Amino acid sequence: MCKIFRYECKRLLWNKFFVGLLLVVLFYGWQVLNSVTILGVSHTAPFSPWSFGDYLSRMSPLLWIGALLFLTFFTSPKARRTAVLIDATQVVPRKYVLTRCAAALVGTGLLTLACLVEAAVFYGWYFGWFDWGTLLFPALVTLVPLLIFALGSGWILGSIKPWLVYSWMLIPFVCMALPLPKTLGIWDGSFFNEYPLTLGTLDPSFTMPVTVIMMQCILLAAGAALLFFHSGKNRGS
Amino acid sequence: MEIRIQNVSMTYPNGKQALKDLNLDLQTPSLIGLLGPNGAGKSTLMKLLVAALMPTSGSIQVDGMPLAKTDRLLKAQLGYLPQDFGLFDELTVVQFLDYMVALKGLRDPKTAIQEVIRAVNLEEKAKAKIRTLSGGQRQRVGIAQALLGNPPFLIFDEPTVGLDPEERIHFRNLFSQTAQNRLVLLSTHIIEDVQSVCDQLVVIDHGRILFTGTPAQLIQAAVGHVGVFWEREVTQGQGLHITSRVNTSQGIRCRAVADTLPAYAQPEEPSLEDAYLYLILQEAIQ
Repeated sequence: MCKIFRYECKRLLWNKFFVGLLLVVLFYGWQVLNSVTILGVSHTAPFSPWSFGDYLSRMSPLLWIGALLFLTFFTSPKARRTAVLIDATQVVPRKYVLTRCAAALVGTGLLTLACLVEAAVFYGWYFGWFDWGTLLFPALVTLVPLLIFALGSGWILGSIKPWLVYSWMLIPFVCMALPLPKTLGIWDGSFFNEYPLTLGTLDPSFTMPVTVIMMQCILLAAGAALLFFHSGKNRGS
Repeated sequence: MEIRIQNVSMTYPNGKQALKDLNLDLQTPSLIGLLGPNGAGKSTLMKLLVAALMPTSGSIQVDGMPLAKTDRLLKAQLGYLPQDFGLFDELTVVQFLDYMVALKGLRDPKTAIQEVIRAVNLEEKAKAKIRTLSGGQRQRVGIAQALLGNPPFLIFDEPTVGLDPEERIHFRNLFSQTAQNRLVLLSTHIIEDVQSVCDQLVVIDHGRILFTGTPAQLIQAAVGHVGVFWEREVTQGQGLHITSRVNTSQGIRCRAVADTLPAYAQPEEPSLEDAYLYLILQEAIQ
């Protein structure tokens, strides 16, 4: 499966599409950092976990779309035609699907890493600030559940109808337009803007309500479960 | 290897019945030509044999074991070229075959890939990206992946589509060589493809088997039902199925199959194509 993983990574990452996506992510990220994050959110420093979380929330729709775009390599009608050949081999379906999923995760991970590195460069460049360890927790809580859920749900939808993956790309924008409950505040970015103000101190240390953490855990578990469920059912797509 | 198809019927969810009560035995070594018009049920039968579909009723046994329970075992011994397939355009021919070798779990990938690339005459394009290949070259990559690892059971669904005449002859010979110690099932609607190489024929139409036997037996069944005549002689064309019309200096010479030849037709030795058309015609009449 190592060889399959390498080839899938090559298919996903060694092309103009990935380079283009990376450039778009970096360009948008730089715009957000220079116009919003630099001011800091909710009376906190630009390099506080709150401002950094806000930056990640603003980047998450692009990362969501990126993750789903990687899936189109496996769920498109063209990919389904290749699946006919793959289905005729003795490969274990679950192993194969999880290998492909790992390749999609690598692609999504690289896009995410680009965002994080960009923010780190920004903080170092403008503020001479290098204490990146404090940003790890908001990054993990914000991005990991979101992206695993994107891959799990997107793969299931793509295996039903390829166009559903493209429709699913609109979900972050729908979330921004709808009045979401506070537990889903990470999805529309309101959590990082509004929650610090309720803590009653200036520049509060980063904390998260249990309900928000639980919601993120549920999303993570749901995404992982969907991936696992899908891998047992499908092979080529 | 022995494959036994017993009372197999297949009805798609949309209600279309593709196969009706099919019975067939396939044994190694053999090159079996599966003939039939478009929509006859050939591809459905192939999909059932590679466990891509499950029959609505009946059973398929591979070496005495039900296919439904031993599909991975069958797939380990299978090379399959579907009628409609895709390739990874981003990879080169060698990389794609290497990918398929990994899926098939073959040892010594390098030798396996070199062998099939040579067999399908793709040495020059071995390092070319698949997206740069012509339709015929892509078809050859499809055939190459089926041949990887010399599987004992090969299924080719319309393998010569998109190939030029020279390539078609090359592949016919290749299939014939391949079948010397293996079971090869070759589905096509091109009679020429099976005429010279298949030792057994299965003719299928409307989901039913019309004939199983050797090409000679099929031809024998059409003796006395093929004739030639001048077009100007035709007084009554009912029941005649003209298979060719040739313009000559003396007029148009026609060749036809019929259940009963008219008096003006001169009987001719049937070709396999005549015999096939006669069989299909008989089915249509019934």
